[in-house]
Amino acid sequence: MSPPSTTHPAESSPLARLSRINLQQYVVYVGFVAIFVFFAIVLRDSGFLTSRNLVNIALQTAPATIMAIGLVFALSAGDIDLSIGSTVAVSALCAAMAMAAMPEAGLLLGVAAGIGAGLAIGLVNGLLVAYLRLPSFLVTLATMGLFAGVARSLTQLRSIPVTDSMFTGLFGSGSLFGIPSLVIWTVVAVGIGHFVFRQTRFGAHVLATGDNPRAAMVTGIKVPRIRLTVFLISGAMAGLAGLLYSGRLQAAKYTLGETDLMTVIAAVIVGGTLLNGGKGSIIGALVGSLMMGLLNNGLILMGLSVSDQMIVRGLIILAAVAVSLRETTR
Amino acid sequence: MRKHLIAALGLATALTPASAMAQAPVTVGPNGEPATPVAALQLTDAEINQLKQGGFTAAFAWHELYDWSGAVAQGAKDEFARLGIEVVAETDAGFDAARQQADVETVMSRSPSILVSLPVDPAAGASTYAAALQGGAKIVFVDNAAAGFVHGQDYVTTVSADLVGIGEKTAEAMNQALAGAGKVGYIFHDADFHVTNLRDAAFKWHIENTYDGLDIVAEAGMADPARIEDIANAMLLQNPDINGLYVPWAEPATGVLSVLRQLGRDDVRIVTIDLNEPAGLDMVSGGSIAALIADEAYNIGVYAARAGAASLLGRDVDPFLVVDALIVGPANVAEGWQQSLGHAAPPSVLAAGN
Amino acid sequence: MNQSPTAPVLALGNIRKSFGGVVAIEDFSLTIAPGEIVALVGDNGAGKSTLIKIISGVYVPTSGSILIDGEPVAMSSATKARENGIEVVYQDLALAEQQSVYMNLFLGREMTKGPLGQLDRKSMIAETQRLVDELDVRIPSPHATIRDLSGGQRQGVAIARATHWAKKLILLDEPTAALGVAETAKVEAIIAALKARNIGVLIISHSLDQVFRLSDRICVLRRGKQIGIRTTAATDKNEIVSMITGLNAS
Repeated sequence: MSPPSTTHPAESSPLARLSRINLQQYVVYVGFVAIFVFFAIVLRDSGFLTSRNLVNIALQTAPATIMAIGLVFALSAGDIDLSIGSTVAVSALCAAMAMAAMPEAGLLLGVAAGIGAGLAIGLVNGLLVAYLRLPSFLVTLATMGLFAGVARSLTQLRSIPVTDSMFTGLFGSGSLFGIPSLVIWTVVAVGIGHFVFRQTRFGAHVLATGDNPRAAMVTGIKVPRIRLTVFLISGAMAGLAGLLYSGRLQAAKYTLGETDLMTVIAAVIVGGTLLNGGKGSIIGALVGSLMMGLLNNGLILMGLSVSDQMIVRGLIILAAVAVSLRETTR
Repeated sequence: MRKHLIAALGLATALTPASAMAQAPVTVGPNGEPATPVAALQLTDAEINQLKQGGFTAAFAWHELYDWSGAVAQGAKDEFARLGIEVVAETDAGFDAARQQADVETVMSRSPSILVSLPVDPAAGASTYAAALQGGAKIVFVDNAAAGFVHGQDYVTTVSADLVGIGEKTAEAMNQALAGAGKVGYIFHDADFHVTNLRDAAFKWHIENTYDGLDIVAEAGMADPARIEDIANAMLLQNPDINGLYVPWAEPATGVLSVLRQLGRDDVRIVTIDLNEPAGLDMVSGGSIAALIADEAYNIGVYAARAGAASLLGRDVDPFLVVDALIVGPANVAEGWQQSLGHAAPPSVLAAGN
Repeated sequence: MNQSPTAPVLALGNIRKSFGGVVAIEDFSLTIAPGEIVALVGDNGAGKSTLIKIISGVYVPTSGSILIDGEPVAMSSATKARENGIEVVYQDLALAEQQSVYMNLFLGREMTKGPLGQLDRKSMIAETQRLVDELDVRIPSPHATIRDLSGGQRQGVAIARATHWAKKLILLDEPTAALGVAETAKVEAIIAALKARNIGVLIISHSLDQVFRLSDRICVLRRGKQIGIRTTAATDKNEIVSMITGLNAS
C-alpha cells in the first residue's frame, strides 16, 4: 500500500478521523443500547423486560421498518418520498376492498391489490420526479395529500374489515415455527433490502445517483431509471406495510400509516442515511426503527403523560439526528 | 369536537335512526341497550376503602387528546385519584387504529387492572383490544364499544354523552331564547356522522313536537363547515323573518356571527352545541348567541373510572351510561364550563361576563 | 481489424460542427498515435470544449469522419464513445464524493460475481490497488472515501479510472486547473506515465508551460478554425502564442 499523503488536513489527525468514523456509523447502535439499558433499569418492575413486551415492540415496529427500507433507497438516490404514509392507507384499503369484493380470490388478490396500489403510487411519483424532473420533495408532498384524499374517498371514511384468515395469518397474527409472521417479514425484507442495497450493481448505482448524478450519468448509469426504480421500491414497501397493518388490525382504514412518516424519517436518518443522498444503511434503518419503538414503548410504560412523552421523544430524536447528521455531513 | 364526531362514525349503524319518527327519539347504546343515567352509579365509603387497599392500577388508551377528550381524561384521572387507583400509562393514538392497537399492547405490559379507552375504529375493536382482553384488564369504553365485545363479559360498560338529550336541551334553549314564539332556521350537518345526526334530529323533533310556538321555516344542510357563511347568508336573505338559528356546533356558529354582523341582524338568536371560547365570549357580551349546550365531558371520565372500579369489586354495571347535557347561558357560564369540562372558563369569557 | 502498430488510435478528418447557422468548428483534422500526447490549445471560445464533446460522443459532427484504429465509427452517445475505448477526465472529475475510491473507479461498470450478480468488491479493490500502485497515485487505501482526499489525489483517481477503461484514448480537460504546484507536478507525472501504456492522450490546458512539458505535438484552435499543428520539440512558446492570438510575436 502506498503511504498516505500528508498534504490534506483531513488526514492529519488519525484520532479525529477514528472518532468520526466510529460515531457516524455507530450512533444508532450506541443509542439503541443506551435507551434499552436505561429502560431496563428504570422500568425493571414495570413489565419492560418481559418477553411479551419485547416481542410487542418487534411486532409494532415491523410496518415502519419495512417503510424505512424503501425510504433508504429513495434518500440514498437523492430523493425523498413523503407519500409513504398515504400509500400505506391506500394499499391497505385496496387489499381489503379487493378481498371483500371477491372473497373466493382471497389472499392472492388482496396481496396483488395492495402491492399493486403501492407500485402504482411509486410509478406516479417516479415518473414525475425522474422524467419530468420535478423536485421529489414537492411531488411527494403533493401526492401525500392527494393519496390521503384518495384513501378517504375510497370508502367514505369507513373501515373495511379483513376476514380472510390466510391473509390475517400471513400478514398479522400468524407464526411459523413459533416466530411471528411480522418478525419473519421484517427479517426477510431487511435481508433482501440489505443485499440489494449493498451487494448489487443497482445498489451501487442508487448511491452514485444520489451522490453525484452527473458523475453517475457520464459513467453510463441510467439515472432516470434508477430514480424511477427507487420510487417503485418505496411504493412497494409502503404497500407491504399496508398489508401488515391491515393483517394485524384485521381491518383497513384511511388513517393507517398517517402518523408514521415522521417516525420513519427519524429512524432512517438516525440509522445513518443522509438526507441529501449518496449514503445509506438498511441495517441502520432497522435499528433506528427498533429504537423508535423502544422509545415509544418505554416512555408509555414510565407512565408519562402524553404531552411529556411527545416532548421527551422529540428531544431524544433531535439529539440522535443532530449527532448522526453532524457526523455524516460535517 | 369534530374529531370526536368522526370517531363515533362507526357507531352509526348500531343505533336506531332518530329522524322522522313519531315518538320522541331516545339515546341507545352500541348494541341497542337503553341508557342509564350515570348518577345511578355510586360507591360506598366501604367500597372506596376497599379500592384504596387493593393496589389497583389503571391505564388510558385515548383515540386522540384535544379539549373534549382532555376533559374526559381529566375526569377519569381525578376519580382514579379519589379511589386510590394509580394511573400507570396513557397514550394518544392520533386517530390511527393501528397505533391504538399498539398502544393497548404496550400499556398492557404494565398489567393495569382497568383500561379506559375510546375506540378509534369500533369495527376493528376485536383486534385492537385483544391484548387487554387477554391480559384480564377491566375494559371501560367511552362513546362506543368494540364490535363483537360482550357486555359484562368482555367489557364493563360504555360511558357516553346523551346525544338525543343534547338535541332536546338545544330545543329547550331555543324556546327560552325566543320566549316561546318564533321562526327558526335549522342548519343541520349534512354528512353521515352519527353524533351530529342524532343531535340534529332530536332538536328538530322537539321543535316540531314539543314547542308549539316555534316553527322551522327554513332548513339547510352544511356539508363543509367552511361554507357556513354562504349558507347562513342565503337562508337569512330568503327568510328575513327568521329570529332563531340552530347551528350544529360552535365552530361554524362563529361564522354565522360574522354574517349576522354584516347583515346588521342583532335580533337573531343562535343556539349551538359545545363550549368554545369565541362563542362563549359573544354570548356573555350580549351578542347573538343565546346559549351553548354542552355534555358533561368531565363526568364521562369520572364515571368511566368509577365503572371500572365498581367492576373490580365484582359489581355489575349497566351496559350504557350517559351523562347529562346542560344549557350554558350568560348567567351560568362559569358554573357550566366547570361542570362540563372540569376546568374554569377562559379568562376572557369570565372577564366579559362580569 | 486492420490494426497495425503505427495506425493512429484516433483520426479526425475534416470535422465540421455548426449549431443552426453558427459554425463552432470548421474543417478540423487531427491524428493521434498510440503512446502520443497531443495538446489542444486555444483561447476561451476557440472551440476546444465543442471538439471534446464531439470526440466523447456528446455532439454528433455536422460533417467529417472519425476513425478509431482506422475504422470509421459513428459516435452517437457518450456510452458509444466509451465502448470505442475513449475515456474523458472531466474538469469537475465526475467523482461520487461519498463513495470509496474503488467504487468510483468502477462506477457504472462494477465487477460482479455469482448467480445473483453480487458486487465483486475483492476483485475491484485488488484491481484498484494494482492500478494506483502502477500509476503512483498516492491514496491512503482503495477504501478511502473521495471526500477525504486532496484535490491532487482526486485528480489521480479520475485519471486512474480513465486509464483503467480507456483502450484507445484519454481526453483530459484542464487536469491541473484547481491544483497547487506540488500536486500539479504529481499529476503531470501520472499523465507522462500514460505514454507507456500505448494509448493516445489528448490534453486541454491553459498552461503553456505544462503543454510544453507533457505533449509530443500541439494543435492550435482559434475561433473554430484549426490554425496548425506543431511538433513540440520543434516549436517554441512564442510561435504557439502568436498562433493562439493571431498576432505576430515580436
